[in-house]
Amino acid sequence: MSITIINYDSNKIIAKFSGEIDESNADYVRCQLDELIDSHNNLNIILDFSNLDFLDSTGIGILLGRYKKSKNKNINIIIKNPSKHVDSILNTCGIYTIMQKIG
Amino acid sequence: MKNELFMRIKASLVNESFIRSSIASFVAYLNPSVETIQEIKTAVSEAITNCIVHAYPNHDDYIDIDVSIEKGLMLIKIKDYGIGIENINKAREPFYSTKTKEERSGMGFTLMETFMDSLVVRSQLNVGTEVVMEKHIVGV
Repeated sequence: MSITIINYDSNKIIAKFSGEIDESNADYVRCQLDELIDSHNNLNIILDFSNLDFLDSTGIGILLGRYKKSKNKNINIIIKNPSKHVDSILNTCGIYTIMQKIG
Repeated sequence: MKNELFMRIKASLVNESFIRSSIASFVAYLNPSVETIQEIKTAVSEAITNCIVHAYPNHDDYIDIDVSIEKGLMLIKIKDYGIGIENINKAREPFYSTKTKEERSGMGFTLMETFMDSLVVRSQLNVGTEVVMEKHIVGV
C-alpha cells in the first residue's frame, strides 16, 4: 500500500492510493490522511482510488472517521475512480451519502 | 471430485493478505470472474479481521480454515478459539460494533452476507467462533 500526495492547488489536494487497504496498514492510511486534515481548513481532498486493488470494512471505518474529523473544518473528501468492486463496497456501506464520487 | 484445502495459521495482521489471496487462488481452476474473486477476498478478509481484532484482542492464536469445492459450490469455514460473540444477531446488524472507541464500521458481517450466497455464524463465549460461507462459482 502506498499513498502519493499531490498538492494540486491551494484548495485541492490529491491522495493517490495504490495497493490494498486492510487492517494491516490501517494505521498508516489513517495517519497520512490525518496529517492532511489537521494541517488544513477549507480544502477538497480527492482520494484517487484508480489503483486501489482492495478495500474492506476496515477501510470503511477509516473513511467514516476521517469524515467526522473533516466536516467541522470545511474539508470535503471526494472519492475518485474506484474499481467496480471497491465502488460496490463503498455503495453498500453508504459512503456516497456523505462523500461525493467523481470520475 | 470434491476438492479441499485445510490451513492452520496464526491470527496475525501480516497474514491477512496471504489468507484472502490464497483462498481466492484455490478456486481459480473453475475460472471465476474477476468480480467473484474480489467478492471472495472481501468476505474472507472480513472474517479474518474479526478473528484478529475481536476473537484474540490480546494475543495472536490460531485460525483454522477449511475450504471445499464440489460441483461448483465453494464452502469456506473459518474458525477461531477466541472470546466468542455474546450476541450474534446484534453483531450481524449493519453498523453495529462492540469496539465503539475505535473506528470500526461495523459492516463486516453485512459485507460477508452481501458478497456470499449464505452465511452461518456459530459462537460460544470463551470457546470460539465459526463462520461458514457458501458461494456458487460460475465460470466465465
